[in-house]
Formats: sequence, C-alpha cells, structure tokens
Amino acid sequence: MSTEPALMTLMAVAKAIAEKKVSSREVTRAVLHRIAQWQPRLNAYMAIESEQALAAADAADADLAKGNSHGALHGVPMAHKDMYYDAGKVVTCGSLIRRDFVPKTTATALQRLKDAGQVRLGSLQMVEFAFGPTGHNVHYGAVHNPWNADHITGGSSSGSGSAVAARLTFAALGSDTGGSIRMPAHFCGVTGLKTTVGRVSRAGAMPLSQSLDTVGPLAQTAEDCALLLGLMAGADPEDLTASTQPVPDYLAATRETLKGAKIGVPTAFYVDDLDAEVARVLDETIETLRKEGAEIVKVELPDQRQLSAASQLVLAAESAAFHKRWMIERPQDYGAQVLMRLQNGLAIPAVSYLEAMRWRGPALAAHNAAVSGVDAVIAPVGPIPAPTIVESDVGNGPGAEAVIQRLTRFTRPVNYLGLPSLAIPSGFTKTGLPVGMQLIGRSFEEAVLLRIGAAFQRATDFHARVPKLA
Amino acid sequence: MTRPTPKDVKAIAHTADLPADDEVANRIANSIGPAFDGFAPVSGTLPMDLEPASFLLAQLAQKTGKVAT
Repeated sequence: MSTEPALMTLMAVAKAIAEKKVSSREVTRAVLHRIAQWQPRLNAYMAIESEQALAAADAADADLAKGNSHGALHGVPMAHKDMYYDAGKVVTCGSLIRRDFVPKTTATALQRLKDAGQVRLGSLQMVEFAFGPTGHNVHYGAVHNPWNADHITGGSSSGSGSAVAARLTFAALGSDTGGSIRMPAHFCGVTGLKTTVGRVSRAGAMPLSQSLDTVGPLAQTAEDCALLLGLMAGADPEDLTASTQPVPDYLAATRETLKGAKIGVPTAFYVDDLDAEVARVLDETIETLRKEGAEIVKVELPDQRQLSAASQLVLAAESAAFHKRWMIERPQDYGAQVLMRLQNGLAIPAVSYLEAMRWRGPALAAHNAAVSGVDAVIAPVGPIPAPTIVESDVGNGPGAEAVIQRLTRFTRPVNYLGLPSLAIPSGFTKTGLPVGMQLIGRSFEEAVLLRIGAAFQRATDFHARVPKLA
Repeated sequence: MTRPTPKDVKAIAHTADLPADDEVANRIANSIGPAFDGFAPVSGTLPMDLEPASFLLAQLAQKTGKVAT
C-alpha cells in the first residue's frame, strides 16, 4: 500500500487523516498537485476549486484538532460526476443547455457524503446528459484514458473513471443507466459498483431514465466502494422509489473469504464474440476465484438479447420524455449524437414502452430462477478493451447506434433487470490497457459482490497499479 | 411487433410535437429498429393481469443469498 497521500486508497487515507498521521491539507495539496499535472492530458475535471478545497481542508483539520470528526470521510478530498446537484454550485450535466445551471438543492447521495466529512475538489467531466458510452463530449472535449491518452475512458461517467484511475480523487460518484459506471471502470482499470435500482436515492441526481437510473461509486477497491455505499444507501423522504430494505454492513462483507461461494459462468451471450485478450482475462479471473476458494459452475441464463432490446425501448422513451421541452426549444444546443439518441424515443409507441415495463417482473423472476444456485455471475463488462477516441467517434452517423449497442452489449441486460453489478480490474492487454470483469448479483445483494470483489483484490494487484504520466 | 418505418416515425413524432424530416425519420427508424426486432418474441405474449409493479415484487420475492454476509 502506498504511503504517498494521493496514491492511498480511500479507506487508507480516511484512516490516516482520522489518526492525524497526515492532515487534510497535506492530502488535498497532494491531490491538487496531481490534478495540475494530469488535467491537461486527461480533461477529467469539469471544475477545479483549489482555493475552496484547501480552505475546507483547513477547516476539517481545525475540527479534528478539537476532537470533532464529521464522519468516515472526514477531510478526504473528492470530486463527483457533474450531474449531482450541489446547492449553489454550477452543475452542467456535461451539457451546453445546463452550462450555467445552479441548483437550489443538494442530491441526497452527495449530501450523505458531505455529512460524512468529504472535502469538495470540484466536479468531474461526463458525457452530455449521461447519454453515451464512450466519453466523447462535443461541448467540453473528450476525456482521455490515463493508461493511453489516445483511447476512450468509456462513459458516461468518463471523468469519474479517468480521475480515479489517475489518482486525481480518492473516489467519485458515477451513475449507471446502461453501463455508465461499469464501462469507465472496465476501460480505466478501477472498481465500479452499479447498485440495485432503489438501493441509493436518486433525489437531486440528473435523471435520464427513471426506471433504469442508478447511483453508485467508482474507486480503487471494492472496500472503498463498500464504505461509500454504506454511507449512501437507504430510504429517503426526497425519493420514495428509494428502498426501505435494510442496509447491511458492507465493510464487514469485504473481510470474508471466498470459501463456500458459488460463482456462475454463463454458457452463452457473455462469452460469445469476445476479443481474444478479454477472453483470456475472463479465464484467468475465473481461475483466480477458484484458487481463492470459490466453486465455479456453469449457468444458463434466459435470452439476454430480449432483455437488451427491452432496455433500449425503456431508455429511449423515458429519456425523450425528460428532454422533450428542450428538444422542441433548443435542439441546436445538443450534441448531434445525443440529440439523435433522444430522437429515437419518438419512435416508441406507448404500448410498446408499457409492454417493456410490464415484462420486467417476469424477466427478473426468470433470471432469479436461473441463478438460484449461485451467489453471483461473472462476465466481461465489455467485449473489447478501450478503442481509440478517433475510431469510436461515430457522431450521429448511420452506424453510430450499432457501435453504441456493441459497446454496451453486456451491461444493458443488467440495467433492465435492475440488478447490482460490481466491475473489478481483472487484467491488462499486451498493450497495457485495463480489462474489467463484472460480478452480477441478486437484487439488494451488493454485499455478496463486494465480498467476492475484495477477496479477488486481496489475491491480485490490478486495482493497485497506477498509470504513469508519460 | 413490427419495427416502425420512417413513415410511422414521422407520424408518431408529429403527434409528440416534434416533427421529424425524412432524413431524421430514416435515421430514427434504422437506429431503434433492432430494439423492436429483439423484443418481438415477447411483444403480444404478456398476460392481461400483469402489472409493471410486478418488477418490485420480483425484486423482493427472491430467495436470500446463499452466502451469509
């Protein structure tokens, strides 16, 4: 484990600050120094608030000197995807339309992290209105992958993936509607947790699709994600779709071994047409899990193509409804690809949308039956490692939607079923690009995934590798 | 379930107060068409009594995980 403050894990730095082994100012300065070095190359930050961050760090240090700790994140500097409302701060949502938008409220998930003592560093770049899987943004520029700046970060939580990988924040909120946490985690080599629909309040988080949107963290480790989920999860009077299911001790789960765990490997779909290096990493990951004590079994899942199609219908209809007013009044202010994808929703008759929504229950029940004998299913996050920014810059051309659908092929079915999924760094290609695998669990069983992910990370070091500034 | 034609798209978009020209209607039909094809085996097969809220029931009806945490 690194003792250089900016390279520590979230858990380690929070402990070091709490024990006064390092001050919040020292940590914040170290991270700001890295941001100054990397930002010109990565474009990961939307806004950098150095002075305010140092002032907040000083206040955190002063409170701690008096014996007042605000919580588990006391004095830890962090930044989040620029779609979480923070009262009085500009929240662009990666868009031109909201370039000057200043919300009057703060997102519940963000407020809970603030209540635990986090220090705000600024905000992180994202795909316009979180509607795209690559990380391109025509208004603010593409975010670059720290492992190779010619390659994409994945999206839509592009800045979150890039900044966590380059150690420019100890963790970051992302959002996942069709893969937007897991894709950047896969492409950038960080850990990302897509939560169960309803596990974390969406109040104050920019909406894209009310049925599919989920809030979750990207961080170095499963343990870091467990800490953040424990702080954010639970019922919220501001979002009545947030579940009242009990919030378990996620950190306790990360300390367990894999002995007795049963992990399923799909017999089809997730293992079809894989890039050779992704296939190799999948095999190696399965072998590591087996060595750590997990039993590996085959699972036959229901037809994932139908789930994927249903998720497209729901996402297209709901996103178009959210954006209808601006599509009428300000179509010129959207990027061409985002407008094209929003326009897709115009082709969905209400009956088709409602059929897709009505099928969700039986589809989830069928999935639950198929995986009843396993604790989690392992699958690649994507069929390929990160493509280059140039080759994936498809704009609104005739093949754009096909490219987008290929990239998110393995993530969309999980969104439709509302399941939790933990993306973990699992290997590297010969050219040094990260490859991530996802552990797909049952509804509200994030603890099981975090347990498996943490055990895997005790046996490997992919999550601990840090990209070099060339 | 039949994928919408550009003509269908134009009609639906018109009723949504977002008129689509020929080029946009063509692009939308091509983009979203595969989703209609993929969902076709399900469409028209669902029982009448099935509510969208059955999803919430399915979320909570599952057996608890085999692994104690």
